[in-house]
Amino acid sequence: MLRRAAALASILLAAGTAGAAAQQYPMRTPAPKTTSLPQLRALARTREISERFTMGVADEQRGEYAAAIPEFERIAALRPPEPEYSTAQYDLGIAYANTGRPADAAAAFQSAIAADPGFLAAMANLIAVELAAGNVNAARAAADKFVKAAPDSARALYSRGIVALQQNDLATARTDFSQLLKSDPRYALGHYDLGVTESRAGRWNSAEREFLLALDLAPGYARARFALGTVLLREGRRSDARSQFDRVVRDPNGDVALQSLAQAMRDAIHAP
Amino acid sequence: MLLSLAACGAFAAACYGFAGAGSVEGMLQGGLTPSAVPGLLGPITEGGRLAWECKPEIAAAARTADQGDLPVLPAK
Repeated sequence: MLRRAAALASILLAAGTAGAAAQQYPMRTPAPKTTSLPQLRALARTREISERFTMGVADEQRGEYAAAIPEFERIAALRPPEPEYSTAQYDLGIAYANTGRPADAAAAFQSAIAADPGFLAAMANLIAVELAAGNVNAARAAADKFVKAAPDSARALYSRGIVALQQNDLATARTDFSQLLKSDPRYALGHYDLGVTESRAGRWNSAEREFLLALDLAPGYARARFALGTVLLREGRRSDARSQFDRVVRDPNGDVALQSLAQAMRDAIHAP
Repeated sequence: MLLSLAACGAFAAACYGFAGAGSVEGMLQGGLTPSAVPGLLGPITEGGRLAWECKPEIAAAARTADQGDLPVLPAK
């Protein structure tokens, strides 16, 4: 009798546990429990969006961007609620950008931001596609928005700094690279870009300091070494400059064009 | 006009201590290009940017270059 009661109790306990587990992990798309045509259509639409997302993202992860385009175009046309609409536009932008359609990519990222004004990844990608298309002013507008939305973001500060340098807006470039380096002082490229900014402003001492910091962090950073050589030359330290160019010639870190340039510079400076 | 340009070139050459200062100036500027534009952030699943561990959105907001997926130096 006792044994039977124990067996019954264990069965009931197991059933209860299974029920609880099912409650914890509900099905993503519940089985239809209606014969209403509008409700069945809505369920089918939800299912279609989900399936297309799965396929489109998988296509992009495999690098098959052309195949991803119709999936995300269809989702966008169905106009799902947030966050699906802005996400579909974002993914569509990536697919367009990787199939040589930068204008369409920019429009898709802009649609994503319009639907979700805090969408930082879409802002980041919008800057990249605008720059790739040569639309520096549009890239700057996107970068300003990105920095305003995320003032501590390394990517926002770096991107706007690069755009500002292209526009010769040295004050903004200096502010952004300096701010980036406050959060991440070990980023060698940040020091290099700040050095380029200071060079363009004719602030040779500051430029030299930044290039030296970049080289402390990354001794094989040939472009920073070349830049240091140019600053030393401007400061009239010809022998030191020649030595830096010579080091770039010997260790160009795979940059053949820079190696040729450094060789020409080294050979142009009269030996002491 | 040509004479004044030549005079400027000669002055610059004297300052830097080598011949052909005009072409050298071009080389100096040519070697001082900013670093690369960051690449595109990757796709996002239907859960959206606020979903748990959405890597592209986390990278866009990150405070450091490494977490922000910013350009790195080419490996040797």
